[in-house]
Amino acid sequence: MPVREGIYGLLAEFDTPTQLVYAAQTAYESGYRRMDCYTPYPVEEAAEAIGFDEPKEKGVSRVCLLGGILGGLAMFTLETWVSVWAYPLNIAGRGKFSWVAFIIPAYEWTILWAGLSAGFGMLALNRLPSPYHPLFNAPNFRNGATSDKFFLCLEADDPRFDIGESRELLESLHPTSVVEVEH
Amino acid sequence: MEQGQHAHHLPANLGAPVSVLRWRSRAILATAIFAVLAIIDLFISHSFDYVLRGWLMGLMLCLSVCLGGLALLMVQWVSGGKWGFLIRRPLEAMSRTLPLVFLMFLPIAIFAKRLYLWARITDPQSALRAGVIDAMQAHAIAYKRPYLNLEGFWIRGIAYFIIFGIFTYFLNRWSLQRDTDTQHGNWFWQKRFENLSGPGLVVYSLVLTGMCVDWVMSLDPTWFSSMYGFMFIVAQGYAALAFVVLVVLALSQYEPVNAIFRVTEQHDLGKLMFAFVMLNIYMAFSQYLIIWSGNLPNEIRWYMNRITGGWGPIAGLDFLFHWVLPFFLLLSRDLKRNKRKLATVCCIMLFARFWDTWWLIAPNFPDQRHNLHFSAGMLQYIFVPGAMTALWLAYFITTLRTRNLVPQHDPHLPQILEPEHAHA
Repeated sequence: MPVREGIYGLLAEFDTPTQLVYAAQTAYESGYRRMDCYTPYPVEEAAEAIGFDEPKEKGVSRVCLLGGILGGLAMFTLETWVSVWAYPLNIAGRGKFSWVAFIIPAYEWTILWAGLSAGFGMLALNRLPSPYHPLFNAPNFRNGATSDKFFLCLEADDPRFDIGESRELLESLHPTSVVEVEH
Repeated sequence: MEQGQHAHHLPANLGAPVSVLRWRSRAILATAIFAVLAIIDLFISHSFDYVLRGWLMGLMLCLSVCLGGLALLMVQWVSGGKWGFLIRRPLEAMSRTLPLVFLMFLPIAIFAKRLYLWARITDPQSALRAGVIDAMQAHAIAYKRPYLNLEGFWIRGIAYFIIFGIFTYFLNRWSLQRDTDTQHGNWFWQKRFENLSGPGLVVYSLVLTGMCVDWVMSLDPTWFSSMYGFMFIVAQGYAALAFVVLVVLALSQYEPVNAIFRVTEQHDLGKLMFAFVMLNIYMAFSQYLIIWSGNLPNEIRWYMNRITGGWGPIAGLDFLFHWVLPFFLLLSRDLKRNKRKLATVCCIMLFARFWDTWWLIAPNFPDQRHNLHFSAGMLQYIFVPGAMTALWLAYFITTLRTRNLVPQHDPHLPQILEPEHAHA
């Protein structure tokens, strides 16, 4: 894989989550879409500010729902196949297709596969695990992102991105610093 | 905070808004209309029995919101959480409707002989010989006589109300004292509420099991199920939560509730409703699965009475209203955060409780079991519970108005007044 060169994005550092959320909202309103917030603990409002509520961002919910439905159907079909065709047994004179008894394993599989799909789907959609990320090149990010600083990164592949204008926008939001991050 | 998200401030008047009076006059009007319809229907059908059956259904519905409110009140004391703070005063008002529910119980106890087979049949053997009851019923009535007798029914009935009355009294009294108390800290009150509510939840589940066994399960003396009490407990939580969320959503249009109402807590309550929807179907299905697996003639009769002879579609619709609709609607995150849509789900859930209570009670009686058919008397299952629940609603609003809607001296209060933004 060829080494990518050039700017990954502009990283602004903030001291409080409130400032970060406000900055993210402003950037979103100015038309930026390819951006991300980095915080030491979950800040739900930051996710909302950068468009988490948009339908196209609901990948995890969809993967979870799909996993649940497929898991339930798979188990129900398996039980039906085993009991009706593959290995039919007469249990106390009940019908071979005893759907009442099939519900429980099907229900458990619904939960199991919904949970697994949500967990692994989230990782896959976030492209995790990710051993390398350009932001690791920013020294203040390495020190602050896991302890007490809040970051907003406007990414360079956003069509709205312009190194001068974007820096001006970020600096108008009173960050502690704005740095260019290389790939 | 530069983005203009400021902390909310409580208004000076923390009482219920004036608009609730409009709701109360509507409820009283509905009571009157349903009562008139019930009386007209009584003259058409000439059946007082159907009035009593409808009355029992109305009693169970009012009981479920009253005691379900008490149970949720105790749950929020032991679990903590801002969702509990938000709905505390409406829950207290729901629990304080207990005297009205006791008055509703009296006609059931007075006319028990017209409602309950075991109370009517004093001599099972001669009734069996006369062909009034079958062998299974004769055996069950004779065998269960030490429990199912009128004296016991009265004594237990009054004892149930006294026990719940004690919990209602202290939880409500202390909550009011805490509002004006400036001496004791939060820890003192919190421990006090917890120490009453923890054991209270155990007592609640035991006493409620007794209530639903006495009043509903014993309508068919031959049948028994150990899941029955839990089904009613969960159904009460289901109904009471749907009702209280509906009340808070309605109150959130006005002061003072709009100051403490945030989407975060609404979302939490929506998730809790979802949990009750799952728990409810879990209980109902478990009982069905156990009886289906056992496949014993004395047990399956209860289900056969309720799923054959025209009752099948009713049971199917019960499943649709109780689980399918609320489950798939509440899966959506956006729906739980939308006031209007969440209120619609609450209405579906409350309607499901009407439907389910009817399905549990009506097929117990010989003329309707196995055989769903229309008669003028059947309309009493709409009119009488309609009048009773509307009357209960009017009384609930009266009790709601007696207190401030925002409890004081609770550490949740400053937290819930903060904007929903993260803070450094």
